[in-house]
Amino acid sequence: MSQNIIEAREVSVTFGAGAHRVEAVKNVSLTLAAGEPLGIVGESGSGKSTLARVLAGLQPPTSGQVFFNGESVYKGSKSYIGEARRQVQMVFQDPYASLNPQLTALSAVGEAVRIHNKCDKREAEIKALELLKRMGITQLDAVKKPRQLSGGQRQRVSVARALSANPSVLLADEPTSAIDQSAQAQLLNLFRGLLHQGLAIVLVSHDLGVIRYLTHRVYVMKDGVFVESGDTEDIFNNPREEYTKELLASIPGQLGSAAREKRLA
Amino acid sequence: MTYSPKKLLQVLDLKIGIPHPRRETLIIVDNANFDIGYGEMLGIVGESGSGKTMVCRSMIGTLERRGAKVLSGKVLLEGEDLAHASESTWKKLRGKAIGYVPQSALAGPNPVLTIHAQLAEALQKSEAKGSIAEQSKRLLDLVKIRRIDTVLKQYPNQLSGGMRQRVMIACALASEPKLLIADEPTTGLDVTVQSQIMELLKEIRQEFGTSIILISHDLALIDDVCDRVVVMHAGATVEVGSVGELAKPRHPYTIALNQSRIDIAEPGSELVTILGNAPSVGEWPPGCRFAERCTIRQSDCSVGPNHPPLFGERGTHQSACLHTELLEGTR
Repeated sequence: MSQNIIEAREVSVTFGAGAHRVEAVKNVSLTLAAGEPLGIVGESGSGKSTLARVLAGLQPPTSGQVFFNGESVYKGSKSYIGEARRQVQMVFQDPYASLNPQLTALSAVGEAVRIHNKCDKREAEIKALELLKRMGITQLDAVKKPRQLSGGQRQRVSVARALSANPSVLLADEPTSAIDQSAQAQLLNLFRGLLHQGLAIVLVSHDLGVIRYLTHRVYVMKDGVFVESGDTEDIFNNPREEYTKELLASIPGQLGSAAREKRLA
Repeated sequence: MTYSPKKLLQVLDLKIGIPHPRRETLIIVDNANFDIGYGEMLGIVGESGSGKTMVCRSMIGTLERRGAKVLSGKVLLEGEDLAHASESTWKKLRGKAIGYVPQSALAGPNPVLTIHAQLAEALQKSEAKGSIAEQSKRLLDLVKIRRIDTVLKQYPNQLSGGMRQRVMIACALASEPKLLIADEPTTGLDVTVQSQIMELLKEIRQEFGTSIILISHDLALIDDVCDRVVVMHAGATVEVGSVGELAKPRHPYTIALNQSRIDIAEPGSELVTILGNAPSVGEWPPGCRFAERCTIRQSDCSVGPNHPPLFGERGTHQSACLHTELLEGTR
């Protein structure tokens, strides 16, 4: 019996046809263990977001299969049927676009709690407040609409919404790229806490610094394929592929400068 | 508070506000103080809403478009005060002495103009020799764009984010400015593209001696490319110093910013975050505006009405903290 909670086998995704045919993901296989922090790193256009959407059940693969606890995720035109749907949740890159501008943080999260836990509105609001509090959103901020919140707060509301389903896997697609440094630190601390509680997190990012901080294992993606994968710290210290070295050297600050010196030497 | 000919630009006690017909004027920047020397690369850091962009807008005369104006203080460009310049002065200055690269590379260029037309517009005030076509090619070559003839005919949506930002930099360089302001030029771009853009800025400075202001919330990035750093919090400059000096910060806000850097943190260790949120504009407390979030707060920190000034001599390592003696051990 495998302990893998999610497994992708030889997944390919092709968009368009003829001259406009784009192979976004090419024959990629991946495993995620329960409670594991996993990273997928690559530049824009490398196919990492498409792959994350395949794992989340939002993008049926052109070929290949995805399994959740050994069960096939895509069945006919549906994905994540029944209980499994609740278990895998996703947070998107843009906190400005992923929340309904008309709803307060509390009602946005409350709605999700109500749907996933089948409880009444009052009960849902109490649970939602609790969740928001865990995310560091005070009662005062909970009654605000997205435009009154900062980018970091919005992103944390999105995480609260995803957690309302009490998932076992959280897919986060570039969650820190649109928020500032101190908000990023808050979000990463939050993710760390969630990992301690046994949640598996798939962190998709172009920033190896963020990946190094949070994950233990990483897949490096380029042009739709994994060029390198393994223990995050290993890849950091001994990158084999030129592409990984370039990504490392691009990280701002001390991490990148060490890699830049190595490259020059 | 004196004019120094050694500095290209000096911001002196700058105060910016948004006047309201019935209510009190909303102060958005108060106590901004820093200089930038010739050929210097200066980083401005601070959270969203700390006033970094507004200070830079006062340098390019576009405050009024946001309904804001300079209430007091000076912005001296080689001795000439930009803070109170008239619109006709601005028409002469704008896009000439100071080039501006806006925050969003994706929204920056005009979507209905070809790259050639964008550059032609930027080149209107150029005094350099050669036809518009020759000059445009030279500019694109400068920002390391290849296939120049193809790119000139293209529209912004046909270019990648990194290419668009290169075009914006080319436009800002059209009139050979003495100062280039890059306002979060790489937000939303890949780290690899970001490092290429940073290399480009360094080369521009090297080749033309252009002074560059880089606005960012990423201290690690500023560490890599800048000579000196200005830290802003709630509309005030709270610390100014060289990159080396800022490695031993003298303001609790800078210390906290440093500790939230993931390039320095141990993987998986708790990152230090700053308590609460920066006070909103219009709700600034008396005295130090960081006091409510500060771990070494003393009773005299919140004695107002004014924010503490930057202590120490201009051009040295300055901090606006009243209790730097308590900082040992918090770093």
